[in-house]
Amino acid sequence: MKPAPFDYYAPETLEDAVALLEKLEDDDVEAKILAGGQSLMPMLSLRMARPEALVDLGKIKSLDYIREEGGNISIGAMTSKRAVEDSALIREKQPLLHAATLHIGHRQIRNQGTVGGSFAHADPAAEYGAIAQALGMEMVVVGPDGERVVVADDFYISFLTADIDSTEVLTEVRAPVMAAGTGWAFQEICRRQGDLAIAGTAVTLRLENGNCTDVVIAVFGVNAIAARLGDAEQLLNGKAPSEALFREAGRVASAELDEPISDVHASGEYRRDLVATLVRRCLLEAVERVG
Amino acid sequence: MTAPQQQVQVTVNSVSYERVIDPRTTLVDFLRHELGLTGTHVGCEHGVCGACTILKDGQAVRSCLMLAAQADGANLQTVESLRNVETGELHPIQQAFIDEHGLQCGFCTPGFLMSTLDLLAENPDPSDEQIKDALDGNLCRCTGYQSIIRSVRLAAARVRGGKVAGAHGSA
Amino acid sequence: MAITIPGSPQDMPTTAPRYVGKEVKRIEDPALVTGTAEFIDNFALPGMAHAAILRSPHPHAKILRVDTSAAEQMPGVVAVLTGADIKRWCNVGTTAPEGWGSTPMAVDKVRFVGEPVAAVAATSRYVAEDALELIEVEYESLPTVRNPQDAVAADAPLIFDNQPSNVIQDRTYTWGEVDQVFDDADHVYTEKFRWNRVGANPMETFGCICHWDVVNNSLTCYGSYQTPSFIALGRAASLNLPSNRVRVVSHPHGGSFGGKGGPRGTDIAALLSRKANGKPVKYIEDRVEYLLAGAGQSWDRYYQASLAVTADGKLTGFKVDLVDDQGAGAEGYGTISAAKPLAAFTGCYTIEAAQYHMKLVATNRAPTYAYRGYGPPPHNVVLESMVDIAARDLGMDPVDIRRRNYIQPDQFPYTIPSGNEYDSGSYAAVLDKVINMSEYQAMRQQQREAREQGRLLGIGVVNTVEPGVFDWNAYSTVGVPGVGVPEGVKVAIDILGHITVTLGFTLEGQGQYTLAAQLVADYFGVEMDSVRVTYASTDVAPPHFGHGGSRLGVALSGAIMGACKKIEEKFRLVVAGLMQCEPDHVELMDGHMRVQGMPGAEMPVAQVAGTMLGRSDLLPPGMEPSPEATYVWTADDRNEPDDQGRCKSYLTAANACHIALVEVDRDTGITQILKYFIVDDCGTRLNPANVEGQIQGSVAQGVGAVLYEEYVYSEADGQPLVSLFSDYLLPGIHEVPMTEKAFIETPSPVAPLGAKGCGEGAIHTTPATIVCAVNDAIAHLGVQTRETPISPNRLWKLLQDVVEEN
Repeated sequence: MKPAPFDYYAPETLEDAVALLEKLEDDDVEAKILAGGQSLMPMLSLRMARPEALVDLGKIKSLDYIREEGGNISIGAMTSKRAVEDSALIREKQPLLHAATLHIGHRQIRNQGTVGGSFAHADPAAEYGAIAQALGMEMVVVGPDGERVVVADDFYISFLTADIDSTEVLTEVRAPVMAAGTGWAFQEICRRQGDLAIAGTAVTLRLENGNCTDVVIAVFGVNAIAARLGDAEQLLNGKAPSEALFREAGRVASAELDEPISDVHASGEYRRDLVATLVRRCLLEAVERVG
Repeated sequence: MTAPQQQVQVTVNSVSYERVIDPRTTLVDFLRHELGLTGTHVGCEHGVCGACTILKDGQAVRSCLMLAAQADGANLQTVESLRNVETGELHPIQQAFIDEHGLQCGFCTPGFLMSTLDLLAENPDPSDEQIKDALDGNLCRCTGYQSIIRSVRLAAARVRGGKVAGAHGSA
Repeated sequence: MAITIPGSPQDMPTTAPRYVGKEVKRIEDPALVTGTAEFIDNFALPGMAHAAILRSPHPHAKILRVDTSAAEQMPGVVAVLTGADIKRWCNVGTTAPEGWGSTPMAVDKVRFVGEPVAAVAATSRYVAEDALELIEVEYESLPTVRNPQDAVAADAPLIFDNQPSNVIQDRTYTWGEVDQVFDDADHVYTEKFRWNRVGANPMETFGCICHWDVVNNSLTCYGSYQTPSFIALGRAASLNLPSNRVRVVSHPHGGSFGGKGGPRGTDIAALLSRKANGKPVKYIEDRVEYLLAGAGQSWDRYYQASLAVTADGKLTGFKVDLVDDQGAGAEGYGTISAAKPLAAFTGCYTIEAAQYHMKLVATNRAPTYAYRGYGPPPHNVVLESMVDIAARDLGMDPVDIRRRNYIQPDQFPYTIPSGNEYDSGSYAAVLDKVINMSEYQAMRQQQREAREQGRLLGIGVVNTVEPGVFDWNAYSTVGVPGVGVPEGVKVAIDILGHITVTLGFTLEGQGQYTLAAQLVADYFGVEMDSVRVTYASTDVAPPHFGHGGSRLGVALSGAIMGACKKIEEKFRLVVAGLMQCEPDHVELMDGHMRVQGMPGAEMPVAQVAGTMLGRSDLLPPGMEPSPEATYVWTADDRNEPDDQGRCKSYLTAANACHIALVEVDRDTGITQILKYFIVDDCGTRLNPANVEGQIQGSVAQGVGAVLYEEYVYSEADGQPLVSLFSDYLLPGIHEVPMTEKAFIETPSPVAPLGAKGCGEGAIHTTPATIVCAVNDAIAHLGVQTRETPISPNRLWKLLQDVVEEN
């Protein structure tokens, strides 16, 4: 269980990285970006991923930051998940992102794994997919033609595929600061604590005159990509929160899913039903958090 | 395809090493077979069991989930660093694992010790829940974890320098 | 000269034991916590090559062609091995029953996914794996025998061409007047159960370095071997070598739990070494290899059971019909797992008649191997579930029905219907203690209150017998020959009085080296630190078996007591000569040889040893100057089985009662263990900390088996779906309950020092306890679980049926 041979590059600047990716592309070399490697390394060792070249972003120190700017929390792609976990700024201003981070893998994974690596890997069971959808996050991608900003909904294309060209690098993700008075919740079902989720849900909402408004429900672990559940959101907007309403929202959410993934841990029908439960429970928790 | 040989410089347990390696070499293979530091063990090679846990720049990482090349310039710490070579004295974490029977076969133990080191550096007085959260990336097939939690508690108390009710109490 | 082994620590030559019975620190630990223990992959030989194995992707296929020419040309490759070499050099492995063995590598066809097909030795494992990719194998698929149903179908393809069918064994054993008992019963309960495959999964996989001495035609295998002498014999048979030409050196291993020893991996590395003209070859099994095809799969069972009960809750008869999916043959001795329940077939109860229908079939799943408990854990799920079914129907509390049926203390030694004799026990006392400790009635109240709020709480109360100190005769029903399992040690005192114990097994985790030091230190009145315990390879160690069958603590105690006693006898003669008295008047006490009735006439043990080695002139005429002794212990009074497999097999019968409180999440099917209590009785506790560790570790494995772990195979095509640790779910620190424990000591009247085998421990009890607790939580809804693991998905599905019915 050892990786197949590859060439290894560790550019020290973003410009060098993009130039290198472009050159490899021109030379017809299949390259893959290494950004921490907590998902890629097992695939390399199992020889399931066999890139001809690895471009390690680990030496690009300029991509390691967390800052608040223009109403957003901006996180450099090479920032570790542990840094997010330890960030007082994020805990205070974007608590949903913070809560989700605590669910990612184990401490060792969060220490070495990067934020950008996780977003770019686009694993359907990854917590950040749902957070991106729930918060309408923006991804900054830099390539030979400069920088472009992609919204979450466009960013995730399909199973393990994000909107990043082979000559591009994800450099930053941006989450809006959570508005005061927002209720939120994040819950997931795993076989063991720290495992990839079988199903998970992120919810944000507000209350206006005692009614739900701005309801956002995102689900992950169930379909090929994380997604918003519009039917359930719509059902809730403008209605007074109640156990019965949330139960109904769960049913609607469950019904609007694409055909769920089935694997050794959970059948598709089980995952579908878990979403109903998770949505209901998250809504209850989110409303409680509004206070 | 010809794999260019990769230059790597790391500091491990305060000793600096420079080697030229095949870039696909994993960090754990590098430590064990290149540097002869075999105290770090390999249990699954795909990032689940935690037996290969070491500290990189003070934080616990799985050395099977890194290339040695990624550690270039890093400061690494392995289980071999814990025992005081001058006095022969064991680290309080090691001693606590012995005193509380926190190991049986001992294969996963170096990983647990290094995770504990990371935890206690950050939180010298962890609750049982915090201990569990810090160690949930390490699997042990022998002990059922109860004595490991006791060991970490005892180690924490000793590291803090407080008085310790050392005996094998119930967990 | 017959040697009397002390039956209790009080019988040892010490006024008060300083170490035996105490929670002493383990002498194994300093090496382990510093990472300096020599696990096999920490060890290297000069010039060693590294092996990688190409494995079959097909469950069942003919091998039409293997082309290794490109691999052989690759720089760095030193040897390539294929079926052609195997045909030339190897024999089919022996099995019980006979005729279901394989060669270490497939020759003409593959029988399971992961079966070795070719292997490479190269300068590194990386290069060896590169070379594997250059080997071309052409297969012709054969129909797959996915499960026992397929195996016995009329047109089933044969997995073993030398056999008339895929049925390894199909026989019914009847003990007592079963028909009569069932006819007379007021109630007969019948249920089906399914136990899915689980297995050992030690944190260290198997590894070895094999060195074929091509000049002397002999083989040395260094590796993680649980039972080195057994492995050595097997290699001699498989590789056509005289048994004294195979030397096995067992290295400390990172856990074993039954299966560690890698006969296939060893043979392959050995033959690669032979082919590489004697270059040593290292093979380290990786986790994917382990999960797919290592010695890590066990107990794949379909049960139907019937329990005969009287109106007032007396259990009178128990019938079990087992269909066991052994996988592709019997190479891993998985068959024995089906035979072992005979040693405690009817548990703690006075059930008078029983019947066991054992049907063992071959399929295209991986062959099954030994795993901790070796078979009874699933059997106990069946037995204890049946007892609860009866209790529920009769309106009895699970505690009461158990108490009603216990073998009573004055009934021991007690012979159970399946033939084994239990040595001793205090079942009601154990039950009472755990009921008090758990505040059982308060938990019942908590359960009622929770249920009113719509929450599903359940309590499991389960007691089991752990057969300890195995004997080969226990497995006669599947064709294992022999009676007795020798375990030998050598104890030697040097000229300065330092003591060394030499034995034939190595570190595995249970702390037996510490036990050896405890015993010797107390016997000769020396500090434990001064006793050295050292390993000897198979060629020089006394006869030994090593770890297995909850026996080593007891067997080692017997061997050490025997060896110490033999030295004591020699010393008696020496001192009698020096002091001019009768040998009978000399005794050993607290480290001194004393002459009775002559105060002050005594010699320290060290001085006697020094005299023997340094002053031959002072020894009795003709006496051998040898302050050392070897003693080989085996259990007394074991006998040959009768035609129904009945015999006195396992020497000791430890027992335990567990109580668990669980909560089932009705929406998600997740089972959470809220509380867990254990009282056990394994006789004399030689090192209580070790015993506690065995119990808690075994709880963890039991929780794994009942809630998390499963080797899943595709129902559609028989392909294994689990090959990673992210899919085979070992319980982590959050998943294992922190248990509250207490104990009772009912010493064994027949075992050395009164200790009972306890190494396999709680895995006998925990799965059944959780199954019973979950059913206690949900039975009122009209559903019960009969399949393990009780994964959230499975339990959700069961509860779904209820929801839909409502």
